Amino acid sequence: MIVERYARNLGLPGWTVETQRRLATAGVLVVGAGGLGSAVLPYLVAAGVGRTGIVEDDTVEITNLQRQVLYDTPDVGTSKAEAAARRLSALNPEVTVTPHRTRLTPENAAGILAAYDLVIDCTDNLATRQLINRTCLELGKPWVHAAVSEYYGHVTTLRPAGPCWHCLSGMDTAAEPPPSGILGPVAGLIGCLQATEALKYLTGTGRLLVGRLLVWDALRPGWEEFSYRKNPDCAVCGNRNIPVPPAAD
Amino acid sequence: MAMQVELRVFATLRKYLPDHPLDRGVVVTVEPGTTVGQLITKAGVPLEKVKIVMVNNRHADLDQQLVDGDRVAVFPPVAGG
Repeated sequence: MIVERYARNLGLPGWTVETQRRLATAGVLVVGAGGLGSAVLPYLVAAGVGRTGIVEDDTVEITNLQRQVLYDTPDVGTSKAEAAARRLSALNPEVTVTPHRTRLTPENAAGILAAYDLVIDCTDNLATRQLINRTCLELGKPWVHAAVSEYYGHVTTLRPAGPCWHCLSGMDTAAEPPPSGILGPVAGLIGCLQATEALKYLTGTGRLLVGRLLVWDALRPGWEEFSYRKNPDCAVCGNRNIPVPPAAD
Repeated sequence: MAMQVELRVFATLRKYLPDHPLDRGVVVTVEPGTTVGQLITKAGVPLEKVKIVMVNNRHADLDQQLVDGDRVAVFPPVAGG
């Protein structure tokens, strides 16, 4: 571990060499490397998360570059997962970045997620979020959900004990197309919050946004927090005997 | 006696309430016993476009009956990332 690299982590109240070591032994899976992922990934890697996985099967398109600041114009047409891994490895060669050039599917989800301690949802569709929710419940993994649209974004953290994503969003599984417009820094802002939640979880720092939906409306502009609870009748998590990991709320 | 409640819409639902102020919701006058779902419909927001409902910043459902002064916030499905 290079102490100089993490000096501003180690200068934080409550952050010790042992805290940094915990981060170095942790694994985080980021599903989706678009607007949210472009913010989440550099901050995790820069902070010293030991293993970061990227699930992404897309290639970089010119329309991505307005907000997906992880990529450069010469990356257009190349694999996002590979381009992101190159950039991130240059940012911090002391950690491992693993590109998974695939979509998350019911067939591969458990196998990929099992190797990580925490999942971060940076996807652009509801079906993958349902899959992350279900797989994380089955494996006893926490995850950080976020979504953005136009000038709006929200973030919340979900633990295996619940409430789960369906407790908040209901059971309607109708497909929702990605928004036609997203203000780039709104995705960056919300992605930064996801990275913050991840680093807090992995180091046991502070409270998490469990049962709390934090909303940013850039038009108003303002933050607002909403609360939600576990739905005892939830068809996904309601009757499960879910193991509860020992991490603090 | 009629009640007044506040309705706020987020993200893509804003287009259904073009007079929605940026910094607060719209005030709607409703009869006692009105539910969240009835309020949303009365305001002109398509119920099928609503994914999450909050009343006074707490998770609620469409069948919840409103009381005077309630603040209702509604959210569409948000898929972007």
